[in-house]
Amino acid sequence: MEQAGIRRQKGGAFLGGVTPLSVAAHELKSPLVLLRQLSLDLEMTSDEHDRARIIEQMVQVSEKALRLTGDITRSEAVQRSLFECTPLNPLSVCDDVTSELARLYQAHGRALRIGRIRQLPPVVANRDLLRRILLNFADNALHYGDVDGVVELQAQLLRERGRVRIAVRDYGPGLPLGSWRNLKNSLGQAQPVHARPQSSGLGLYISAQFADAMNARIGAIRHRDGASFYVELPVSHQMSLL
Amino acid sequence: MTAQRVVVIEDDQWLAEHYLRLLRRAGYETYHAPHALLAIDMIDDVRPHAILLDVLLTGMTALALLHELQSHDDLATIPVVLATNLADQIELDDVAGYGVKRVLDKATMYPDDVVAAIRGALA
Repeated sequence: MEQAGIRRQKGGAFLGGVTPLSVAAHELKSPLVLLRQLSLDLEMTSDEHDRARIIEQMVQVSEKALRLTGDITRSEAVQRSLFECTPLNPLSVCDDVTSELARLYQAHGRALRIGRIRQLPPVVANRDLLRRILLNFADNALHYGDVDGVVELQAQLLRERGRVRIAVRDYGPGLPLGSWRNLKNSLGQAQPVHARPQSSGLGLYISAQFADAMNARIGAIRHRDGASFYVELPVSHQMSLL
Repeated sequence: MTAQRVVVIEDDQWLAEHYLRLLRRAGYETYHAPHALLAIDMIDDVRPHAILLDVLLTGMTALALLHELQSHDDLATIPVVLATNLADQIELDDVAGYGVKRVLDKATMYPDDVVAAIRGALA
């Protein structure tokens, strides 16, 4: 099991003359291309079952693109202002994420469920930013996990660090070591557009920014049968002061 | 008459479904591999008449896959159509030596272009 803690690099995170704008444009190109192809397919498809499936896919692809634009906008705001962090129950955020992505997972014939959750204290976090981080991880897991595999949200208390780790665990063949090393080196940075398939890494870069804004950190663990992407958040001590 | 076989190598599940629908409608027997490693085994088993290949794949890239195919005499002659978001950065002359017959731009192609490209590659 190999683990990678990830810190967003301060400044200069965009490499080799690749600007944030070009990375964002590249990232948005994939869902737009897919949406166009599905629209053209719908036009020439008469089978009702196929039409219903294509329409559902179009809805989900649109929602994914809108989530990304929302993340990009919010990422800009994170750089300019502080976000309020309050004590919150991590399980309730996991519930929100599984509900929000239920249709997307269903459309892929996959399942996102809440797995191992141990007795957890509240964490100090911004609900919206934490939700967005977990949505990014869960969206990512759809592409890198096993086609038939379940994806789980897991959480545990890291008592010695005074933190709670919430992870999105996918099950699959596991990334080859070379790909994992590339990923480990690139997490938290927006990559040149050729560095990774489909994704430029922008989602993970934005997630690292969101984590920074909450005094949290993101990371990844490579398992024999898949991977976990996680965020570690400080435990709230507010309740213990009462 | 037996249908001609086409292997589609595309890691976006829904785009792959789209290609498979188009090619089946056109009468081809279709197979899908979401990544290059699986594709190599599939190509070896299926012995397709043509390959529709995405460029940015998880793990091994399309170029590495094309190299691999070229290293086998019996697979090197299978015609390949590239469908990619990077079409503006790929010259057909540069990849023709790998058996690539057409480069389709995912952003501008129409469904008929996919079928026409496969048909053209098989001609």
